[in-house]
Amino acid sequence: MSQAIQAVVEQLETPQQRTTLTVEGHELPVTNLDKALWPGAGRKKPLTKRDLLRYFARVSPYMLPHLADRPVFVTRFPNGIAGKSFYQKHWEPVPPFVRTVSIYSSAGDENGAYVIAENLATLLWLGQMAGLELHAWYSRTERAPDALRHGKRFTGSEAALDRSVLNYPDFVVFDLDPYVYSGKEGRGEEPELHRRAFQRTRRLALRVHEQLARLGLETWAKTSGRTGLHLYLPIVRDLDFDAAREVAETIARHALREHPKEVTVDWAVERRRGKIFFDYNQNSRGKSLAVPYSPRRHAAGTVSMPLRWDELESVYPTDFTLRTVPDRLAGDGDAWAGILDRKQDLSAVLGAGRTG
Amino acid sequence: MARAIWSGSISFGMVTIPVKLYGATESKDISFNLLHATCGTRLKQVRWCPTDEEEVAWNETVRGYEYAKGQYVVLTDEDFEKLPLPSKHSIELSGFVEEQEIDPVFYERSYYLEPDERGQKPYALLLRALEKKKLAAVATITIRKKEQLCALRPQEGVMMLETLFYPDEVRARPEVEASGAKVTDREMDMAFTLIDLLRKPFDPTEYNDRYREALGELIEAKLEGREVVTSPTAGDSKVIDLADALRKSVEAAKKGGNGKPASRRAARPTARRRTRKVS
Repeated sequence: MSQAIQAVVEQLETPQQRTTLTVEGHELPVTNLDKALWPGAGRKKPLTKRDLLRYFARVSPYMLPHLADRPVFVTRFPNGIAGKSFYQKHWEPVPPFVRTVSIYSSAGDENGAYVIAENLATLLWLGQMAGLELHAWYSRTERAPDALRHGKRFTGSEAALDRSVLNYPDFVVFDLDPYVYSGKEGRGEEPELHRRAFQRTRRLALRVHEQLARLGLETWAKTSGRTGLHLYLPIVRDLDFDAAREVAETIARHALREHPKEVTVDWAVERRRGKIFFDYNQNSRGKSLAVPYSPRRHAAGTVSMPLRWDELESVYPTDFTLRTVPDRLAGDGDAWAGILDRKQDLSAVLGAGRTG
Repeated sequence: MARAIWSGSISFGMVTIPVKLYGATESKDISFNLLHATCGTRLKQVRWCPTDEEEVAWNETVRGYEYAKGQYVVLTDEDFEKLPLPSKHSIELSGFVEEQEIDPVFYERSYYLEPDERGQKPYALLLRALEKKKLAAVATITIRKKEQLCALRPQEGVMMLETLFYPDEVRARPEVEASGAKVTDREMDMAFTLIDLLRKPFDPTEYNDRYREALGELIEAKLEGREVVTSPTAGDSKVIDLADALRKSVEAAKKGGNGKPASRRAARPTARRRTRKVS
């Protein structure tokens, strides 16, 4: 553990409810440290904001690389995962150690400040605001090394943003979301995590992985931290979001044809019942999935856990929680380390004509 | 050939030509049955009397003509039989006209007329005479208890019978403002050029009902137990080889480049709204 992290963990040992942390020379006031964010159950103690901050500190060396240069969205749960949550995109003002980037949003026809979580202090600041779930864009503000020809202007208009590097994602992503119900859900509730559903999702993910591997394409998997799996296909940034979405849709529809009993791409939630929703729609600028190691709103305190393919067969989402993941990472390291060094040029791999 | 829907004779002066009538067209529209959504049972149409609150059998029904709101005059089967139907089982020719004189708006349905064995010679005579003169015959025929105006016209060695709407069944022409608009010779020449460019013989086999084809495919796919989803691009569902499909999407995307069609962009906000979910 680095000294900076060690120092934060030690400061969090304070019996006080509030304190001012010194994080790599920055001052960060934190409050309500013993507020339960995940409820306890039986002999399990609740997870508090103090636990969350400790977790963020300990996983930061593994998590921050996945957040670098990416605008983040945060789902905040000021009263814990059972309480009201809200989704925050824009932040103003921010502490001096937080980097923001101004990006045009067509919704309000104005520029908004997005946070780039690039240091430990920023991560802890988000934790202090009960920002449990961190979502990051698949595109980055940084152009090197594979997107030098794209623009760097993100403000003023949709057209500028279209031309900018933020319109060129690093990944094609899939969200495999089982709509396989355990039968215990209440009316209108989303399906809960259970063994059979996860087993089917895992099997589907492995098939997709094998299929794409046969084409020479490498995919990466992580648990969503809730019920399903996320698959990432790292790509060279010469396809924009629309193109990435088309690639994703092609793969999803292929999976649908291959496994019609297992897969659905249906819009209507009711028609997804009993199948795994092969969601390719997240490939869109401004959309996001939970970042690696982000905690999720699940009672077990699960996080979105990057996996190696050989591990997938033997794991279950609840293996990876705020309690277990830091030690595991200290032992095994980040299964997704270097994902950006493994970007694939789809045109070259597939032998598509170079016309662009 | 399908079963004749009518048989009788053409009366042409002193000559009668025994003929049979066959429908010349059929709609290929795919029809559906209404099912109960929850159990899949085919629904039954019930003749329901709201006064007696009971189902009514066919033999307990009569036909009523609504002459004023809620006021009916009842006609029985006997009443209908009393109606004069002079052209019963015969096609009475009443005159000959040039085919172009009959505006297509009058055409209702097309039938083929075929001669009985005994009628072959007079049939051929009438057919050839009309062909030579380039004329059509106007006649009446009674089909399904209703006397209809019709036209007989030769078409490639077969006598066609076209039932015609009566004039009062064709709605009055609207006054179209554009008919008084001034056009210059130049504009006219441009229009001519364009028309000449696209001028070609009419070949109905060039056209097919794409809606029906898609519908048929959809039904077949359902039958095979496949989940059916709308395909965003034509032909997409036929691509089986993933490598091929991916290559195509990458190529298409790259060709699009920055000058991508606006529609792709425009289609997205909806998708954004609808996938509002946190995964």
